[in-house]
Amino acid sequence: MYFFILFGTIALLFLLVKGMFLCFIPQSKLPPFFERSFRYIPPAVLSALVAPAILYTRSAGGFDISPVKIAAGAIAFGVAIKTRSILATIASGMMFLWLLTYLVG
Amino acid sequence: MSGKKREFLRGARSGVPLMIGVVPFGLVLGLAVREAGLTTIQSVFFSTALLGGTAQLASVQLYGAQASAIVVIATAIIINLRYSMYSLSLYPVLKERSFPERLFAAYCVSDQSYAVTMAEYERDPESKLLPVFFLGVSLAIFFVWACSILVGYNLGTVIPPELSLDFTIPLVFMSLLIPHLKGWDRQISALVGGFAAVILVPSLPLQSGLLVAILFGIGAGVAAGFFKKAENNRGEE
Repeated sequence: MYFFILFGTIALLFLLVKGMFLCFIPQSKLPPFFERSFRYIPPAVLSALVAPAILYTRSAGGFDISPVKIAAGAIAFGVAIKTRSILATIASGMMFLWLLTYLVG
Repeated sequence: MSGKKREFLRGARSGVPLMIGVVPFGLVLGLAVREAGLTTIQSVFFSTALLGGTAQLASVQLYGAQASAIVVIATAIIINLRYSMYSLSLYPVLKERSFPERLFAAYCVSDQSYAVTMAEYERDPESKLLPVFFLGVSLAIFFVWACSILVGYNLGTVIPPELSLDFTIPLVFMSLLIPHLKGWDRQISALVGGFAAVILVPSLPLQSGLLVAILFGIGAGVAAGFFKKAENNRGEE
């Protein structure tokens, strides 16, 4: 039950945010400060999600540094910059992860 | 075929090239949903009642890690604040429509359908059928997105954990990050956000590390943007 209450609330709040100026406060202008800070949401969010997931492996004991993941992540980052392709990034990252795991372990 | 129907289908078709990005992202989100321990009914609710890409991933991971409700909600909302900006620029497109129709538009709009619709709006701002086009592309993306999540959720059971498929999650986000790194102010925002997450995610209580790291990243970006603007102004003098 907790799940449905939590994600039902998130669904309703998403409607409020996604329809903010379309349904609820029409024809207004955003304060310029907000508009400026929105520019930085995607880079801040995405790298905050990526960095710990590449650096650490979660185990029962907590967060362990994982050199294999870091190496595979670094290679995939280069591929991502060069190709701008989601599929090429996934493919190169996973291939090197498997290869390095096989070589090291 | 009526003009409306044709415009709806044209919208749906114009979303097809974007599916290359939507499907892998949806699949890995499905894996994350499985890892977070959702039941089948919960995952169906999760993939149809809300639509918010990154915010969906962060919130389901936090839920799985037993973060407090406030942290889950606040993280999801902050990540999705950009949609309020979309709603501002969609207003001229949908202002003639009724309130329930605009609310439905808010429900099904995605990054992708917003981008495609605004490109169409640039091409032909006078089009009376643009709301139908918007509905076509939005529903097509939403449908493929929800299906990908559910497929990923079910794949999670057949793929052995030794393959570390969860590593695809940061890989997808990595490639989504690249286009947002134009300009040194945004690079600072990414660096600070990532660095703060590495320090704070394992250390802050109640899984609040991600939220705080995001706020640090945004704050650093705003500060850098300040300096960048001052620099540009000097350049123009």
